[in-house]
Amino acid sequence: MLFAFMESMRSALYSIYAHGLRSFLTTLGIIIGVASVIAVVSVTQGMSSFIGDTFSSLGTNSLTIQSYTPFEDQMKGIRARLTPEDLELIERRVDGIASITPILFANRSSQIKYGSQAAFSQIMGTTYAYQDVSQSYMSQGRFLAQSDNLTRRRVAVIGESVRENLNLPDIPVNEYVEIGGEWFKVVGLMEEKGDMMGFPQDDIVLVPYSTMRSLQGNQTRADIQIQLSLSDTAEVENVSQQVTSILRNAHGLSSEDDDDFLIQTPEQLMESFEEVLNMVTIVVGGIVGISLLVGGIGIMNIMLVSVTERTREIGICKAIGAKRYHILMQFLIEAMLLSLLGGIVGLSIGFGLGSLISNSIPGFPPASIPMWSVFMAVGFSAFVGVLFGILPAAKAANLDPIDALRYE
Amino acid sequence: MPMSLIQLQGITKFYEMGTQVVRALDGIDIDVFKNDYLAFIGSSGSGKSTMLNILGCLDKPTDGKYHLNGTDVEALDQNQLAAIRNQEIGFIFQSFNLLPRANALSNVMQPLIYRGIGYKQRKDMAMEALQRVGLGDRTDHLPNQLSGGQRQRVAIARALVTHPSILLADEPTGNLDSQTTIEIMQLFDELHAEGHTLIVVTHEDEIARHCHRVVEMKDGRIFRDSTGSARVSH
Repeated sequence: MLFAFMESMRSALYSIYAHGLRSFLTTLGIIIGVASVIAVVSVTQGMSSFIGDTFSSLGTNSLTIQSYTPFEDQMKGIRARLTPEDLELIERRVDGIASITPILFANRSSQIKYGSQAAFSQIMGTTYAYQDVSQSYMSQGRFLAQSDNLTRRRVAVIGESVRENLNLPDIPVNEYVEIGGEWFKVVGLMEEKGDMMGFPQDDIVLVPYSTMRSLQGNQTRADIQIQLSLSDTAEVENVSQQVTSILRNAHGLSSEDDDDFLIQTPEQLMESFEEVLNMVTIVVGGIVGISLLVGGIGIMNIMLVSVTERTREIGICKAIGAKRYHILMQFLIEAMLLSLLGGIVGLSIGFGLGSLISNSIPGFPPASIPMWSVFMAVGFSAFVGVLFGILPAAKAANLDPIDALRYE
Repeated sequence: MPMSLIQLQGITKFYEMGTQVVRALDGIDIDVFKNDYLAFIGSSGSGKSTMLNILGCLDKPTDGKYHLNGTDVEALDQNQLAAIRNQEIGFIFQSFNLLPRANALSNVMQPLIYRGIGYKQRKDMAMEALQRVGLGDRTDHLPNQLSGGQRQRVAIARALVTHPSILLADEPTGNLDSQTTIEIMQLFDELHAEGHTLIVVTHEDEIARHCHRVVEMKDGRIFRDSTGSARVSH
């Protein structure tokens, strides 16, 4: 049996080689199918492993609380808010908080100027605690201090991208930049963090929270974001429950109302990202499944043509002693090999494509192919070959030798 | 009386064509002995081809007994028939029936694959057979690079390579010119002289004249057998 298998392999390889162009066109469906699945999987998997790394470096012991207005309410003009009072409540009443900081995003133009150079950036008002919560480190100068906040000093801490965009000197400390028509003294430069999923983390400007409030005019009710980090013994679940009940109480929500705020942990964020990626993988997998099916039908079609074309040859082989399984195996292996070769070619094209995509989009994580997808692609294409090879192979094996010999 | 290599007893072959039953073979009794050199002759429709198919184990008779080299062929299934064709019979066809994409050597090696013989030994055996038919220098030519006579020699080598009990030739010179016909028939004569058993189906008297025994068929029956008395049933 092994002998017959090896001989069938030899003859199938020869046949595929002898019909080079036709073999290539036949297997094109499989090549495209496998290449697209591998390209997508390699990109999404590269992304998801990168996300995992990024979030684990952030630590799982921090929470972000932000206001949340359901779309229906937005239509009615209602806007949920988180206020400095909420912050105070949480800070006072919740156990297990290591540090807590408000973040106030600039609600007007986020333009920042240095000399004649202007750039747009994410400008946030926050406190000294932000450094602890967000795990930021300084490469130059100092971070915002508590006294900056108390005295509403016009100081700023900037990210590396901001320094580059504004053509600030390598050591930007003590330079003055203009934000919203006010002059701010740069007191510190943060260590580079790199991009996260294409979102730059270094394009930020931090100013004292109270300074930001006064810039925005104290008359408006601010909607702030609250970030907090947990003490070592505290549990995320417990703390977020405490925060929820305090905020619901403070906002006067009845038991039927939904939360008008959102508590996010990096873990949740990571999970929702991965959920999206998995959805993409599944959807693409489905599409690819269809394309492999179509590819398989293409192979079946050509194999059927090939059986008809080689009817006489089959008759000759049967006349000189080929048994049923010799013929069956020859065609089955030919179909499987065609499909398998398509799978392997598709695999390498897909990986090349995936690498090309992730390399050509700046800040994209490198493509990575998990082993399971390789096995799946190769295994599935071989399976498709066998599945769609059975019909033509059986047709060939069942030919009557006399009829086959007489076939013109 | 020597043991007969082929023994046919009351062989019939009927085909149903719509409501009509065609009696391609209608009660054939014949013995073929080792080293016979036999020709089946007859006009078309006389049952020659059906005879050849049954002798070559490509087809099974509707009724009757066929013993080939002591084996009762009737009891065999398709795979066992394939094995018999591989071991006992060497086919030589009018249109050569070589595999078009395989060179001469590969064509001759092909039947040995079905016997499970390894590549090296296959190659040696095929080379020997090709040298026997005088094509030792054309082993790597494809069939369409060979002349008709050379193609038929390759086919003969392929039939010989398995050392079969009988060589079965169906109009072996039907597609060849007269000069090549003479060469091929000389080769047949030599093979007979070497001890092979040959059965040739032909409608050409010229070919039949080479054979030492001529069986004439008519309407699915044996009309005359040159070794025995003329048998005209009914």
